[in-house]
Amino acid sequence: MTKKRLSCPRCGAEMNNHAEKISYEEVAGGYKPDPVFGGVVEEIHTCPGCGNVESRTAG
Amino acid sequence: MESGRPIFIPVILGTTRKGRMSEHVANFMAREIVKQENVGTEVVDIRNIPFPTDDAGESIKHAGFSETAMKADAFVIVAPEYNHGYPGLLKHALDTNLKEYIHKAVGICGVSAGPFGGTRVIENLLPVMRELGLVAIFWDVNFSAVQKAFDENGKLLDEAYVKRAEKFIKELVWMAKVLRYGRENVEI
Ligand SMILES: [Zn+2]
Repeated sequence: MTKKRLSCPRCGAEMNNHAEKISYEEVAGGYKPDPVFGGVVEEIHTCPGCGNVESRTAG
Repeated sequence: MESGRPIFIPVILGTTRKGRMSEHVANFMAREIVKQENVGTEVVDIRNIPFPTDDAGESIKHAGFSETAMKADAFVIVAPEYNHGYPGLLKHALDTNLKEYIHKAVGICGVSAGPFGGTRVIENLLPVMRELGLVAIFWDVNFSAVQKAFDENGKLLDEAYVKRAEKFIKELVWMAKVLRYGRENVEI
């Protein structure tokens, strides 16, 4: 299933999801951990228009 | 295929100590970086970023430093070697960002008063770079006996460093371009 792409909050272009990383700090902050990885899976998105970077929790 | 925005490679001056020779190294590297076409830089002096020390990580983000890291396509880290390790305040500063680093290139300049040119600090930094999502290049610049490489005003005394820096920077720019293309176009 293709996920909805993020729109860049700075320039409006469609961002590219190029990485995922496990965050354990966010679990300490109250987020529910992924049962397989034991942490929160964060997606990293970069804007081809302006280079802006955003992250969001995968799910 | 390259996007039109210039490649931006800030130089992180990784020590706050008085009398630091690494400042001359950082300024030298910045002068060499701008010799490359369509590549910009600035020296980020961690002494000028007022990070609190009663907390760490992204909870003490500094807006200016994070914005610079966001804009960056690659980083040069100038790291003096202190007791075979990296400066604690450099690590403290680096740890304040994460998404801003991911899939970006990094090259490390080791600095030492002795003969090994910071080889041990570079090796110690590599696993940190990896965990931060940075991609380390295989060129380093090792500033050994740094007190002999620059005079007190920062004038380079050993011209061999110009060629060494050029090789390092060319590799870093190549990696920066490739990774920018990937970040912007290649989906995971
Ligand atoms: Zn944008």
